[in-house]
Amino acid sequence: MIVGGVAAVAITGFVLSTAGATPGLLKATVNGTADTAQGQLPHAFLNLATYPDSEAGEHGADGGAHPDWVSYGPTSNFEVPAHSLVTITIDQYDGGETITNPFFAKVRGTVDGTMTVDGKTMTEADPDAIGHTFTIHALPTNQDPLFVSVPLPAVSDDAPEVEGTDYPAPHVVTFSFITGGKGEYVWNCEFPCGDGYYAKFGGPMSTQGYMSGNINVV
Amino acid sequence: MTAAVISQPAQPHQPAAAGGGLMRRLNVGTAVAGGVILGLIGWLVAHSLLQDDDHGSDQVVLVTLTCWAVGFMIGIGAFNGPIGWALGRDLRREDELFLAGKDQGISRYFRFTTDHKVVGIQYLVVTMVLFALGGTLAMLIRTNLISPHSHFLNPQTYNAIVGLHGLIMIVATIIMVTGPFGNFIMPIMIGARDMAFPRLNALSLWLIVAAIPTLLSAAVLGGIPTGWVGYAPLADQAPPGMDSYSVFIIIFAVSSAVAGANITTTVLTMRARGMSWNRTPIFVYGTVASVGLAIPAFPMFMASQILLQVDRTQGGQFFVASGGGSPWLYANLFWLMGHPEVYVILIPALAALMELTPVFSRKPLFSFNAAVISIAGIVGLSVMVWAHHMYASGWAPDLNGPFMLTTEMISVPTGLLFLVILGTVWRGRVWTTVPMMATYAMLWNFIIGGVTGIYLSDVPADYALHGSMFVTAHFHYTLMGAGLTGAIGALAYWFPKMTGRMMNERAGYISFWLVQIGFNVTFMGMFAVGLAGQPRRVVTYAHLFATGNLVSTIGAYTIGIGMLVLLYAVISSWRHGDRAPANPWGGKTLEWTVPNPIPLENFEVMPVVTSDFYGYGEEPSTGADGEDAREPVHAGAPAGPAAAVVAAAPVEGEL
Repeated sequence: MIVGGVAAVAITGFVLSTAGATPGLLKATVNGTADTAQGQLPHAFLNLATYPDSEAGEHGADGGAHPDWVSYGPTSNFEVPAHSLVTITIDQYDGGETITNPFFAKVRGTVDGTMTVDGKTMTEADPDAIGHTFTIHALPTNQDPLFVSVPLPAVSDDAPEVEGTDYPAPHVVTFSFITGGKGEYVWNCEFPCGDGYYAKFGGPMSTQGYMSGNINVV
Repeated sequence: MTAAVISQPAQPHQPAAAGGGLMRRLNVGTAVAGGVILGLIGWLVAHSLLQDDDHGSDQVVLVTLTCWAVGFMIGIGAFNGPIGWALGRDLRREDELFLAGKDQGISRYFRFTTDHKVVGIQYLVVTMVLFALGGTLAMLIRTNLISPHSHFLNPQTYNAIVGLHGLIMIVATIIMVTGPFGNFIMPIMIGARDMAFPRLNALSLWLIVAAIPTLLSAAVLGGIPTGWVGYAPLADQAPPGMDSYSVFIIIFAVSSAVAGANITTTVLTMRARGMSWNRTPIFVYGTVASVGLAIPAFPMFMASQILLQVDRTQGGQFFVASGGGSPWLYANLFWLMGHPEVYVILIPALAALMELTPVFSRKPLFSFNAAVISIAGIVGLSVMVWAHHMYASGWAPDLNGPFMLTTEMISVPTGLLFLVILGTVWRGRVWTTVPMMATYAMLWNFIIGGVTGIYLSDVPADYALHGSMFVTAHFHYTLMGAGLTGAIGALAYWFPKMTGRMMNERAGYISFWLVQIGFNVTFMGMFAVGLAGQPRRVVTYAHLFATGNLVSTIGAYTIGIGMLVLLYAVISSWRHGDRAPANPWGGKTLEWTVPNPIPLENFEVMPVVTSDFYGYGEEPSTGADGEDAREPVHAGAPAGPAAAVVAAAPVEGEL
């Protein structure tokens, strides 16, 4: 009976540990090296996108459980190399409005404190027209600090859809940052966008696989 | 409402009426069927009408879970009485005997049975199931925390498990003494033939059974990301699992109100002739104090959940600051329940230990009056300390000082209860049994839980320790180290009376030491990492906390194995244990005067009480057969000495 009890607990744990809807992992592609203020470092690349729904990312064409939730794609879990220059490109397809906290309208923690939007270098975005942010936080653990926050300008509400797609032409936002040692970090959107939830912090803002995820530095 | 089966003297072996009707075919199976059918209907209707609403998903969940609960209660037969009255029919005596479970064997445990002894056993089983569920979740939490980045559970699953573990355990500890022992033992202890409202008694039990699936549904509805407190505004933003939480709390609050009114009325009106207040056993005081605190406390919690549901399903703004509401309103409503609730749990557990300690010390309860006054003091002060949970919240900082004072004051009557138990043991002829060891363990654990509580009641210290694992360790030392230990002691003490069997003593000892050693290892480790700064409710933590967490996890596994040994002891003894004599411990309270198995109406003749029940040092401590009562009376022996009791002639219409 005691062995059976231990087995029941173990089986429950195994099922729960494997049943969680952990998003897929996207590994950065390392392509050559780059000259940086910290010397020559491996250069890694990630290509992401933000959508006004969940029908273009890993949730499938039908949008999964919440097709009308805003989402990041192709996934929300990323892996980048340690001690490297990481360049992320985000295709931003979503509209927006005035950001709740203007702190996050400025670019922070990137190389030179800048980003490019459709090829134009910027240090901040118009706080009245922001769709989302991509903000990396350090967990309170013994690992190198890493804080990066980039505002993603909103696509105009009246922008026409691109032929053959359900979305307008995106803003293409590119930025780079340098990783330290190995560690586990979280990222999230800091512009509450959980429409239908109070203060817009619920729904996609508090569910893995939509507006938050992990970045593992390996 | 009249008492179903207690209005007449015992009429042993009267057969239940033959025949039937639908009422007699209802059981837990029909209850589940009723819940599923009505829940499905509710879901279909709500989904078709409400899904497109801004708050549609929450509305659908609320309607579905409510329909489940109503369907379950219909299916178990909870509404048969009111429906009968509405149709102009009252129950016949044979109906009442059927409801009391007469001559129904084991099937009466799966029905809406009104006999308080059946309800007590049902509560015991429900409590054990809840502890098994909550304990399993605890094992998973500790497994995840075995190393800083174990990745055993993903963050959302971890959050859901932490919230479910907390709420399941809180509910289990609330009912763990007043449910099984308050229902089974207490009415016999006061010389009553049943509770004042037997059907309400069954109602309170089955409401909890109906509510448990609603809580578990949170696991598949996005979880409870708020922890067991359900703090707003996070609760406003949370997934539909939060609606499961609300429905569960609302049902549980109704159940506790019904049970509280029933127990209070029973004690106030149905004590045996001669059982004045200074002859009323201390356990009865503890039970009444517990439910007396719960009666005003849980409606606060229910109100918070009703307001939360208005927010979540109707777009209300009660707890949303941007809409003119106040998250502090939720915090106040919650803790107006939350701190009295600590004593709802603790008082009956301590009272059970105060009840059994004189039996095994063979001495009167030391300073009975001090014990009663202390319980009353704790009850009074416990409703004036709630905001010590909110020192760091920013609400009314000017009140931090007064709340610090009231919180520290409550340690005085609590300390008095310690002295009552210590004074009882002092120079006693202590018979060290599993129940008595629970008393020792409680003294050790509650000292640690109490002293750390005084630290946390201090505003500057709380600012440093708030939200840390130190707090988690503290309340586990009080609720588990003292409360659950007391409940286990009560189980071991009253097991022979409730089951008619002696509990496996060897397994009881093994379980005791495994649980107590594991418990102290677990939560000492947690104190250490809490003092070092580890926050609560985090899925990962800094490497500097790794050793303390590893120690805590090893301790938790030890508790888990110890609890499985206890479960084995309970189940195997229940099925195959030695038959228990009527009074194996030589106790003097009335429950030890009735035979095993206990007759349906408890007493052949109604007892009359002529003195208190703690006169162990005032006469030879002998068992019924003249042997020293420190040794168990042999099976088959007549009831032991209830020296304070004389049997009265049958009293027609006594109750």
